Amino acid sequence: MTRKLGRYLTLLVHQVRASVLLSAQYRADFLIDGAIEVLWATNAVVPLLIVYGQRSSIAGWTFGEALLVTAFFTLLQGVLEGAINPSLTAVVEHVRKGTLDFVLLKPADAQFLISTARFQPWRAINVVTAGILFVIAFRNIGELPSLRGVLLALGLVVGSVTTLYSLWILTVSAAFYVVKVDNLTYLFGSIFDAARWPASVFKGALRILLTIVIPLAAMTTYPAEALLGRVSPTSAAVAVITPVVIATAARLIWVRSLSRYTSASG
Amino acid sequence: MIDVRDLRKHYRVHRRAPGLWPAIRSVFSRTYETVPAVDGITFEIAEGERVGFLGPNGAGKTTTLKVLSGLLHPTSGDVRVHGHVPKDRDDAFLREIMLVTGQKQQLLWDLPPADTFDLNRAIYDVPRAEFRKTVDELVDLLDLGSLIDKPTRQLSLGERMKCELAAALVHRPRVLFLDEPTIGLDVNMQTVVRSFIRTYNERHRATLVLTSHYMEDVAALCPRVIVIDKGVLAYDGSLEQLSRRVRPEKHVVLRFSREVDAADLEGLGNVVTREPASVVLAVAPADVTAVVSRALARLPVEDLTVQNPPLEEVMSELFTRSRVEREAAS
Repeated sequence: MTRKLGRYLTLLVHQVRASVLLSAQYRADFLIDGAIEVLWATNAVVPLLIVYGQRSSIAGWTFGEALLVTAFFTLLQGVLEGAINPSLTAVVEHVRKGTLDFVLLKPADAQFLISTARFQPWRAINVVTAGILFVIAFRNIGELPSLRGVLLALGLVVGSVTTLYSLWILTVSAAFYVVKVDNLTYLFGSIFDAARWPASVFKGALRILLTIVIPLAAMTTYPAEALLGRVSPTSAAVAVITPVVIATAARLIWVRSLSRYTSASG
Repeated sequence: MIDVRDLRKHYRVHRRAPGLWPAIRSVFSRTYETVPAVDGITFEIAEGERVGFLGPNGAGKTTTLKVLSGLLHPTSGDVRVHGHVPKDRDDAFLREIMLVTGQKQQLLWDLPPADTFDLNRAIYDVPRAEFRKTVDELVDLLDLGSLIDKPTRQLSLGERMKCELAAALVHRPRVLFLDEPTIGLDVNMQTVVRSFIRTYNERHRATLVLTSHYMEDVAALCPRVIVIDKGVLAYDGSLEQLSRRVRPEKHVVLRFSREVDAADLEGLGNVVTREPASVVLAVAPADVTAVVSRALARLPVEDLTVQNPPLEEVMSELFTRSRVEREAAS
């Protein structure tokens, strides 16, 4: 077991290394990507500034508290666009062209190989921006989070990343059935954007959609609530159970989808 | 050893008539049809053997190759490769095989091939010393030199194929599946690739299964061929025997020092092609000696060769015959 874990860690290092080499191959792209990323990252706060310019609290969330949700959103967006999106978008192309053959013929878990095939190092800027947003948020709130709150929030973020990744695996698994899932990935990107707001902002059917059908609330709102020391035991339980259930379902569906792979001929 | 018993791979495909209305109707109600890509094939391949799969487009060659490599799950039948069931794709099996296809590539497009080699080293868990030895051998055999340090996108098609082969061999597989490895390559590069594959097979006793549309590939590499047509096995044996069975006659090629009339060729055999100063005659094997003596005696022969009919003609004849047999049977 330890040997297997060590082997996969080594593989991860090799895959990340290849991505860094790839990004460094085109210097101009590397610099432009970086500059665009800085712009996008600062852009994440603009909607919040506009809304809170008009009022001091929305659905019970002050500016500082809502900024925490945005910070978690920015952090997850960095993970999504830097570590999840690039690899998994490539899988759709692999399935269409039949080059997934080469991944399936390697003596390593195919899901691991495709999930780690491509990283975009510049997207890590989102993580730095998220850090800055956390600092600004807590200065605005005027008090620091408790250690328990920080640990709980960290645990919930790990769950959020797992959920996000598993939702992507589910989307990508659809590629084995419908081939053209580009639209699905765009749709997912648009829905994910709603995670920048605290869940209580949404009402009615939209709230059910964004908390139960697509558990966006559990991804950003619950970790923010954990830092603020007001996450309910039910929310915490939901935030822990959701990733486990989704990850298990994603794995089962991925394995089932693989057996449908017909490999493009010629 | 590869052991295939009654292999079948059937696809369920959606069929509809052309036109707008059938297209709209098919959205609500679909008609499916089962297409047998491979329909009951049985054969064995011994360790170290070189075997070519031949057949027209859509015959089932590539499907069979993909089932053997574990990429496709068979509909029924028993398939074993070195004791492994390919569709299980267990690690021990995957470490023993490789697949190279002329139309798809595994090399990382923007990075030098050396980086793909290194990634494969990590994936196959090859010890560094062994890896270096293997890469040195491959660089030498394929004459790769500094190519492996140039970005893949800057390499020519032939150079890329050589590097593809090397990337697929860093773990020293014992079974090589090659699907059209020389497609699109110029004649010189085809020879290089063939010669490499042959040397690798002889040096490492690796089993080789090849599909190719270039008969020269098969003739140069494979003492044994398996002909698949419409998903069934049409022939399994040596190329020589296949030629003898389908087209038993020999081709006597004569070149003359001056132009020769058609009348001068009478009684020598069936004329296959004729030009003013050369002719190709189809002659029964038993009559070759007599025809050659007569030709030398009465014609201004400058050059003479006796050969089997071209493989393309043999194959074409074989496929026509099996089509006629199938039509007669149905």
